[in-house]
Amino acid sequence: MGEETEENMAAWLLGVEKLRIQPFNLPSLGPHDVKVRLKAVGICGSDVHHFKEMRCGNFIVKKPMVIGHECAGIIEEVGSQVRSLVVGDRVALEPGISCHLCQFCKEGRYNLCRNMKFFGSPPTNGCLANLVVHPASLCFKLPENVSLEEGAMCEPLSVGVHACRRAKISPETKVLIIGAGPIGLVTMLAARAFGAPKIVIVDIDNHRLSFAREIGTDEIIRVSTDIKDIGEEVIKIQKAMGSPVDVSFDCVGFNKTMSTALNATRRGGKVCLVGMGRSEMTIPLTSSAAREVDVIGIFRYRNTWPLCIDLLGTGKIDVKPLITHRFGFSQEEVKEAFETSARGGNAIKVMFNL
Amino acid sequence: MLSSHYLEGCLSNSTLYVPEVFADCICEQLIKKGRVFVLLLTTPYYFQLVRERERERDMGKGGSHGGEEREENMAAWLLGVNTLKIQPFKLPTLGPDDVRVRMKAVGICGSDVHYLKTLRLADFVVKEPMVIGHECAGIIEEVGSEVKKLVVGDRVALEPGISCWRCDLCKEGRYNLCPDMKFFATPPVHGSLANQVVHPADLCFKLPDNVSLEEGAMCEPLSVGVHACRRANIGPETNVLIMGAGPIGLVTMLSARAFGAPKIAIVDVDETRLSVARRLGTDEIVKVSTDIQDVAEEVIQINRAMGGRVDVTFDCAGFNKTMSTALNATRPGGKVCLIGMGHHEMTVPLTPAAAREVDVIGVFRYKNTWPLCLEFLRSGKIDVKPLITHRFGFSQEEVEEAFETSARGGNAIKVMFNL
Repeated sequence: MGEETEENMAAWLLGVEKLRIQPFNLPSLGPHDVKVRLKAVGICGSDVHHFKEMRCGNFIVKKPMVIGHECAGIIEEVGSQVRSLVVGDRVALEPGISCHLCQFCKEGRYNLCRNMKFFGSPPTNGCLANLVVHPASLCFKLPENVSLEEGAMCEPLSVGVHACRRAKISPETKVLIIGAGPIGLVTMLAARAFGAPKIVIVDIDNHRLSFAREIGTDEIIRVSTDIKDIGEEVIKIQKAMGSPVDVSFDCVGFNKTMSTALNATRRGGKVCLVGMGRSEMTIPLTSSAAREVDVIGIFRYRNTWPLCIDLLGTGKIDVKPLITHRFGFSQEEVKEAFETSARGGNAIKVMFNL
Repeated sequence: MLSSHYLEGCLSNSTLYVPEVFADCICEQLIKKGRVFVLLLTTPYYFQLVRERERERDMGKGGSHGGEEREENMAAWLLGVNTLKIQPFKLPTLGPDDVRVRMKAVGICGSDVHYLKTLRLADFVVKEPMVIGHECAGIIEEVGSEVKKLVVGDRVALEPGISCWRCDLCKEGRYNLCPDMKFFATPPVHGSLANQVVHPADLCFKLPDNVSLEEGAMCEPLSVGVHACRRANIGPETNVLIMGAGPIGLVTMLSARAFGAPKIAIVDVDETRLSVARRLGTDEIVKVSTDIQDVAEEVIQINRAMGGRVDVTFDCAGFNKTMSTALNATRPGGKVCLIGMGHHEMTVPLTPAAAREVDVIGVFRYKNTWPLCLEFLRSGKIDVKPLITHRFGFSQEEVEEAFETSARGGNAIKVMFNL
C-alpha cells in the first residue's frame, strides 16, 4: 500500500477526435475523500459530443481534459474523516461536486449549482482513468448482487429517475416517451419502476423500437422526421395509449418531437424536456399552455443514487441489457469504443472494463 | 340567530313591534323581501341598507322585484363582424338550482373585442348570433326552489363558466379544463351583457357590503391573475417579473402583491401603461422594444432593476419576444407562466431554459377564485377600482362606443357598462 505507486493513467481529450491515454496526477487525499480504482466506465452522448466537437452546449474544452463521467470502482484508500466507507468497498460515483454554499445547494437543488465541478465537463477532469480521488459523500456502496457495470449505469439511469420525479410519475400517469435511445430507455425503465401503468415509445428507428419492446415497453410506434406527420402521429399515439397521455418525455429535443409531445399530451398534463437537440425551438406553445400543459425542464439529477441502487438491487430495474458493447482500457480500444458509441444504431451503452 | 318561525310570523304582519336587539336583523330581512316599512326603531344601520337598496334599484331599468310585470329582457347581440345590436333576449326557465340576476355591471374583455372584430378566438367560432360579455355582477331577482344560500336582493358576482361535473377533470377540481364547459360569450353559449340572465346559484358569489357591483364584475379578470399566481406558487419569497402592463398584466401584478411577492417589475412598450402600473404599486418599470434583437440587453436591464433574481415571470403578452425574454430572464429552477395568447406557434429558446430547470406553466381561465378575489377586495388587499377607466350605459350608441374605446387600448384599461 503505497510502496510502489503505479503511474495513474487516464484517457485525455487533446483535440477534436483525439484521445490519448496518458499519465494523470491525482490530487492529495483530503480528510473527506476516497481514492477509487475504477472498474467500469460508460460512454455518454455528451462525452461523444466533447470528443467530436470539443464542446457541449456552453461547455467548451479549452485545454486537455480527462473524459468520462459514468463510473464505478473499488475503494483503495479513505481519508481520515471518512466513516461510511472502507477499503475494498464497491461503489458507484455521483460525478458532480457542488459548492454547498449557494442558495441552490442549500435548498437541495444542488444540480443547479453554478460552481458545480462535474467529471468530464470542462474544465473538470473526468473519470476514464485507473484511479480518481472523490468525496466519500458522492460514493455509494453497491450491494453484493449489483455489479460494477450496473453501478456505472446509475449515472444515466439517474437522468431518467430525476425526470420521473420532476414529472411526478406514478401508478396513475400514462407515459409517452419520444426517442428510444439510451436516455429514452432509462426513462422508460424508471417510469415503469415508478409505477406507470402504460408506456408508449416512439422513434424513427425500427431496431431501437423492438429493443424498447423487448425490455418492457407496452406499445411502440414508428414515426417520421417530417413535421407534417405530427397530426397523424398524435392520433396513432393516442390510439396506442388507449386513454389520454398524462406525461410525455421528449428525450430527443427537436421541433418535431417537442411539438408532438405538446399536442399529444392531455389538458392539465406535463411535457418533460430531457433531450437537448436545438437551442431555439418553434413549437405550438400557446395552445398547449392554454390547455394547462406544463413544460418541465431537466438538468442532470439530484439525490438519485440511493434510489437507483435500490431499484437495481431489488430487480425493479434491469439495466444490463442496455450494455451492448464492452472494451478494455487501451489506446486502440478507447478509440474504437468512442467510434462505436458515436455510430449509434445498435450500440446503446458502450462500457469500459478496467 | 332568530328562528325562521318567528321571522315568518313577523313577515305576515304589516305593522310590527320588535325588540331593539333584533331590529337590524329583522329590518334587513324585510328589506330583502322587498318590504320597506320602517316603524318604531331607528338604527343607522338599516337606514343605510334602505338607502343602498333604493339606489341600486334606481340604477336599473325599473324592472319589478317579485315578477308581477315582466319587462322584455334585452341584450347586446353579436350579429356579425363589428355588428352589435341590442335586441330581446329570451331567458330559459329557472331551474331549481338557478337564480335570475339583474345585471348591474358588465366589463369588456379583450376576448369580447376579438369576437366582435373577427367572430372567432382560437378554435371558437361564432356561427350564429350570440350575446356578448362575461365579466359581470348584479342583483338577484328570483331564486330557484332548491336555492338555499342566496335570496332575492343579494348582490352577487358571477363566475361565467358552467362545467359538466361528470368528467375526470371536473372531479379532480380542474374544472376550468372541462371539455364541455359552457362559458358566457364563448360560442355557442350566450353571454351576460343583458338586463337579466339565468345562472346556477353556486356560480353566484355574494358581495361583501363594502364591495361594489363594479368591483364584483372585476372579479373575472382578477381571477385570471389569482389563478396564475396560484399555479406559479407566488409567495413572500418570489420576485416577480411581468411582461405587459395591459389589463391582464395589471391584475396579475395586483394578485402577486396580494400573495406577498416582495418585488415586482413590469415591462411594456407603452410608457403611459408603465406609469399606471407604477401608480398601482409596481416596484420597478422598464420600457422595452418590439425588436427581438434587444432581448439580451433587456434581460440585463431587468435583472438590474430586480436587484435579485427573477423567480417567476408572467408573460401576459404571449409573443416570441416576450416569451424569449421571460425564459432568459428567469433564474435556474424558476418558472415562466404563459398567460397571454399572442401567436399559436412560438419560436423560443426553450432548450437552454429547460436545461436550467426553468419550467413553463400554462394558464387557462381560473378555478375556485371568486371567494378569494372577494376577500382580497373586502380587506382592501387589492384595489381594482383604478383599473376602471371608462364607463358607459346600456344603449345602442353607448354599446358601440364602449367597444370602440376598449378596442383602441391606449389609456383605456377596463371599460365598464353600468346597467
